[in-house]
Amino acid sequence: MPRASSKRKSRPLNSAPAAKSSRVDSSSSASRKALSKVRQLVDSFFESYVNKSLGMIDPEGIEALCLDLQVDHTDVRILMLAWKMKAEKQGYFTQEEWRRGLDALKVDTISKLKKSLSNLEKEVSKPENFDDFYMYAFRYCLTEEKQKCVDIESACVLLDLVLGPKYRSQVEYFTKYLKSQKEYKVINKDQWLNFLRFCQEISFPDLENYDSDQAWSLILDNFVEWMKSKAS
Amino acid sequence: MVLHKFGEKLYSGLVGTMTLHLQEMAKTIEAAQGNLFLEELNRKWNDHNKALQMIRDILMYMDRTFIPSNRKTPVHELGLNLWRDNVIHSSKIQTRLLDTLLELIQKERTGEIINRGLMRNIIKMLMDLGSSVYQEDFEKHFLEVSADFYRAESQDFIECCDCGDYLKKAERRLNEEIERVSLYLDSKSETKITNVVEKEMIASHMLRLVHMDNSGLVNMLIDDKYEDLGRMYNLFRRVPNGLPTIRDVMTSHLRETGKQLVTDAEKLKDPVEFVQCLLNEKDKYDKIINLAFSNDKTFQNALNSSFEYFINLNPRSPEFISLFVDEKLRKGLKGVSEEDVETILDKVMMLFRYLQEKDVFEKYYKQHLAKRLLSGKTVSDDAERSLIVKLKTECGYQFTSKLEGMFTDMKTSQDTMQGFYAAYAAELGDSPTLVVQVLTTGSWPTQPSITCNLPAEMSALCEKFRSYYLGTHTGRRLSWQTNMGTADLKAIFGKGQKHELNVSTYQMCVLMLFNSADRLSYKEIEQATEIPSSDLRRCLQSLACVKGKNVLRKEPMSKDIGEEDAFFVNDKFASKFYKVKIGTVVAQKESEPEKQETRQRVEEDRKPQIEAAIVRIMKSRRVLDHNNIIAEVTKQLQSRFLANPGEIKKRIESLIERDFLERDSSDRRLYRYLA
Repeated sequence: MPRASSKRKSRPLNSAPAAKSSRVDSSSSASRKALSKVRQLVDSFFESYVNKSLGMIDPEGIEALCLDLQVDHTDVRILMLAWKMKAEKQGYFTQEEWRRGLDALKVDTISKLKKSLSNLEKEVSKPENFDDFYMYAFRYCLTEEKQKCVDIESACVLLDLVLGPKYRSQVEYFTKYLKSQKEYKVINKDQWLNFLRFCQEISFPDLENYDSDQAWSLILDNFVEWMKSKAS
Repeated sequence: MVLHKFGEKLYSGLVGTMTLHLQEMAKTIEAAQGNLFLEELNRKWNDHNKALQMIRDILMYMDRTFIPSNRKTPVHELGLNLWRDNVIHSSKIQTRLLDTLLELIQKERTGEIINRGLMRNIIKMLMDLGSSVYQEDFEKHFLEVSADFYRAESQDFIECCDCGDYLKKAERRLNEEIERVSLYLDSKSETKITNVVEKEMIASHMLRLVHMDNSGLVNMLIDDKYEDLGRMYNLFRRVPNGLPTIRDVMTSHLRETGKQLVTDAEKLKDPVEFVQCLLNEKDKYDKIINLAFSNDKTFQNALNSSFEYFINLNPRSPEFISLFVDEKLRKGLKGVSEEDVETILDKVMMLFRYLQEKDVFEKYYKQHLAKRLLSGKTVSDDAERSLIVKLKTECGYQFTSKLEGMFTDMKTSQDTMQGFYAAYAAELGDSPTLVVQVLTTGSWPTQPSITCNLPAEMSALCEKFRSYYLGTHTGRRLSWQTNMGTADLKAIFGKGQKHELNVSTYQMCVLMLFNSADRLSYKEIEQATEIPSSDLRRCLQSLACVKGKNVLRKEPMSKDIGEEDAFFVNDKFASKFYKVKIGTVVAQKESEPEKQETRQRVEEDRKPQIEAAIVRIMKSRRVLDHNNIIAEVTKQLQSRFLANPGEIKKRIESLIERDFLERDSSDRRLYRYLA
């Protein structure tokens, strides 16, 4: 998707530089041989899930992968994996993406991948990565061409998945609000980002330091009003 | 003696002799009884002065030589000082003098006549002795005693007088004191004594006076008591915070009255009456400020801000003002001189300026103007145009360009009709006369275009017109607005009564059906004419249920129209007029649902205006924070309407979504313009 990639160009890249550095050593033939061996493993790992006619891993393949990882396919760690791969299309992994991701994680077998997942989680929750992951999650849901918004239902599921662990209370109330209001039928990127800032900056649930004269999205102004009216 | 170096002896001799002499004088003065005291003092003073003059003349040489070189007080001055020390400041005289003077002034204040000439001389004496003597021995005490006097008097007055009377009394006292100063006191005392009066009589009681029941400021305003108000203005002007007090009370009263006016349900029933009341109120206060408050600008401003406040309390004010104008332009200004027309229009403009939602006014004005133009019901074209010019001057070209377009369309249509009849003269001889107004879609208020089935004669004629018009204006599309037309029908009723009926196009379609049928049910009429049902019901009601205009008869005779109702021509129709008007194309106060619809359309129209303002501002500023955008947008749109911050925020978000703007990545409150 050309549009998605152009967006990515403007983003400050703060993930996955690690992949290259670890491989830049002396160009001795020994290391080159080691490199190609790893590559082979990664590629054959890829082969075990690939859809041959498509040339990439499809949803079925991902499900199989999840089974082998003993992780539910709706688990957030799969999303994190997709993030690490910078996968563009939801439900599919291309070979390039696969290689990128596994190289960055420094794994080449299923068991190593499984072990690396907890590290991946830690990596994602680091402040310098989390924002990027959060925005990635939103973009990952824009499955249609030129789609700019995510419907409320899906947005709630995604929020729960991605922000739930960190901001359980905010997510619960906000998703409840989203489902009860009628004005907005979709969430756009700006509102999505605003919500993260909201969780990061506003004290909850007292909402003491919230100022509706500031540039918070209108949907959040309405959310705060809703919270306040429920409290009284 | 001076020449012989005996200056010192001479001088001290002088001092001594004079002192003794003065002490003698003092005793005489002290001995004087009662009223004669002052006279005696005065006489002795005059004597002393004469003597002093002589002495000075005699001792002139000493005055000029010995005294300056030995730094002694000059003779004349010496004489005065000795007088002061030995007479005025003598223990028995000093107090008595002061008391006598004050007593006399007190007498005068209570209405007695006193010897003013004597007073003048004595006071002059004190002044001659030096300003410090005047002040210490007289003025200081005079002011204190006066303050006590006026404090007590004002207390008495305020208990028993009403506001107007009190102010009269205060004014009188003030003038009295000014007169007193000019007659026998030092002119420098004027400000000081007037300050005392002002403080005691006015400043201390300001609030009580203003708020006095039944006679205070509010009552004066209500009863147009120009004289009393003027007096209050002039008196209060003299004290600190006096005018602001009047202004504040006037403002809050005006706002209260205004608020009641605009929320009075009775008044709201008649928009023209409503606006007339507003104009009357404005005239009233203009007059008060002119006659009583000497056109004080700060009061004018208070008046303007009050009007702005309460006019906008009622969201229907823009609509009502437009209806007022409509009434005037349709009939109210008939036979009125050009000058008076201008005056009324200027007054309307003044109310217009107070409106916050000028765009709502524009919408209604357009609607009402359209109706006026199309029904040909305007009293004076000049008056219409004059008002448009005034609106243009106030709001700029954009506001009025569409309105002017409407006038142009009317004129052009006339020319088109002439061309049409010229071209088709032969064919159209027998046909009904058709008058078409071709309206340019963008200029006129938007209408949903619904057509109905016109009677055969009409539709043939309309088709001829259509082909004529499109022949000369290729590429245009014409759609008949059957809901806005009128028709004149000649009718002959059962008993031979002949009438000319002026009806709407819809009504014409219905009536023409009866040329070929005696009885028609509602359903049949609906099918034949294809007029939308709500319009059809209204149309039938106006034809069958209104006394004096019931050219049709309905069975059953109820007021509402049922699906199965039957209609007949009313053979017994009677009217004393040959021409009967049944059409309903006159501008009226909107019904609740119509009002909601207009309001919604206005809100919709505002969205692009807000967005345009945001884009304009961001284009020039490039980066701007949230609060500043809101402020600037509001300011830019102020001349049309008051922009809601929430709505502005929504528009900003919409622009972000459409990639016109973006948020700054580090400071969430900043927006950037995306080229």
